[in-house]
Amino acid sequence: MKNTKEPVKSPLVWILFAVIFALINPWYFPAGSHAPLIWGVPLWAWAIVAASLALSVFVTWVVHYQWDMRTDDNEDQ
Amino acid sequence: MELAFGGAAGITVLVAYGVLMLAVGLITYLRNRHVRESLDEYYLGGRGLGVMVLFFTFFATQYSGNTVVGYPPTAYRLGYQYLVSIPFFILIVAAYLFFAPRLYALGRRFSLLTPVDWMHIRFQSKAVTILAATLMLYALGNYLLEQFVAIGQGVSGLTGGTIPYQVGVVFFIVIMVAYSWLGGMRSVAYTDTIQGIALLFGVFMLLIGSLLYLGTPATSAEVMLAQMPDKIGVPDAAGRANWLSLLLLVGIGAAVYPHAIQRIFAAKSEATLKRSFVRMAYMPFVTAGVVFVVGIIGISAFPDLSTAESEQLVGRIANALANQNAVFYWAMVLLFGGVIAAIVSTADSVLLTFSSIVSNDLYGRFISPEAAEHRKVLIGKLVGLVAVVVLVIIAWYPPSTLYQIFVLKFELLIQTAPALILGLYWTRLNSRALFAGMLVGAVFAAVMTFTGLRPLGVFSGLWGLMLNLAICVGGSLAMGVSEQERRRAVEVIGSY
Repeated sequence: MKNTKEPVKSPLVWILFAVIFALINPWYFPAGSHAPLIWGVPLWAWAIVAASLALSVFVTWVVHYQWDMRTDDNEDQ
Repeated sequence: MELAFGGAAGITVLVAYGVLMLAVGLITYLRNRHVRESLDEYYLGGRGLGVMVLFFTFFATQYSGNTVVGYPPTAYRLGYQYLVSIPFFILIVAAYLFFAPRLYALGRRFSLLTPVDWMHIRFQSKAVTILAATLMLYALGNYLLEQFVAIGQGVSGLTGGTIPYQVGVVFFIVIMVAYSWLGGMRSVAYTDTIQGIALLFGVFMLLIGSLLYLGTPATSAEVMLAQMPDKIGVPDAAGRANWLSLLLLVGIGAAVYPHAIQRIFAAKSEATLKRSFVRMAYMPFVTAGVVFVVGIIGISAFPDLSTAESEQLVGRIANALANQNAVFYWAMVLLFGGVIAAIVSTADSVLLTFSSIVSNDLYGRFISPEAAEHRKVLIGKLVGLVAVVVLVIIAWYPPSTLYQIFVLKFELLIQTAPALILGLYWTRLNSRALFAGMLVGAVFAAVMTFTGLRPLGVFSGLWGLMLNLAICVGGSLAMGVSEQERRRAVEVIGSY
């Protein structure tokens, strides 16, 4: 059996995914609040954008460090 | 909508665009003359798509003309509640990480061509293969129909009716079929690249113009705070539930678009696929994010639009910008060309996948397995053409006449997810339970859609999927799998 790495098998991937998934939902601000505005955009919206960026960074991390099925190895031989 | 640039300029851009697409098809054909001799070459571009082209062809399947024309009006009506559209698109890419690595590896090992091909290798069940192929063909057909109607409406809207709806539909479909036939997946992917660049350029000009001439998020914030604070405040309980269910639906649903899955198989290497995914993960900020801001700016620039009027928000903004100066005039003409291009690029991918399922999974598997590959390709193309002709006849008169049966897409596709995903990881999945779940789930979801039932506000496709999963998992646990089935499963997926 080849020494492969698959995201679904890593508990860390699942844990981080669950945390980030929680953060891209706006439950951690009181309903109806909008202050303060930063460049005309409410803080809670900036928080969602930041959490979304974290999700993109998470995808990058998983792709680089948790995904290696050694599929390309065979072609090098 | 009345456009300052309707008529001649619109026609010029559309014709130029059509000629460019045909040229791409012709060049691809001349450079790869053997393309129609093999299924791999025609449907997967010889499994050789590089990072850039693979990225743009994923981009074109994920973002259609609707992202540009339909999303700003929604942001206009919902305000910041629609910010969910940004994490929504990133989540689609994230969801792929949970199955694409293994599916790509299996695709290489078994030379998989379509998602149905995978199910056949995994379950070796004629019933599962035929049912999944049927559900996918039906749903893909309806996707095509939707795109055709959008092309016609887009073209007649852009040219202010100078090009009638039907002429627009026929013109672009003939071009689309021609370049697809000439170069297969390669043509489709190369044109996707051009279409993607046109769309990105147009969307950015739309944002820059809106910021220069129409207002900023700050001016819209003042309007919202004064008149409609719920559009800028944190969503309430119902808004949050809606937000969550949209994200959950995407998480499950991302897996089921056959034309997106097929692109996994077309990647040149694992490294190529990985790099394309990383790029896709950041695109939502410059696509969904940008059109979201445009919609928000619209709140102060065009206040008090009714729902129907707001649907034409992008047309109004484009019109306002086109009247400013020549740069924005041409940028907006290109934007609308890009919108049509994006719809065509979604349609061409769907058509190619439709044909591949016919070629490989129905004709090539059950009707004439001994046929030469070029014959299988030819049959796929011809059946695809017949489907296109039938759909054009249905699309001939715009969509108020479309019945519910032409609306069913996602509801049916999602029922194939257990076979696709569970099959990747669970060796004890029983193929008869899987078949029963898929069939019952599809029928249930269809009936609920026809009757308009949505208990608890949950989408009919999800109800179908829950029933489907209960039957498939419950049945597998109750019946178990035969020793032979299990050995086969271990052989296919056991080495990962």
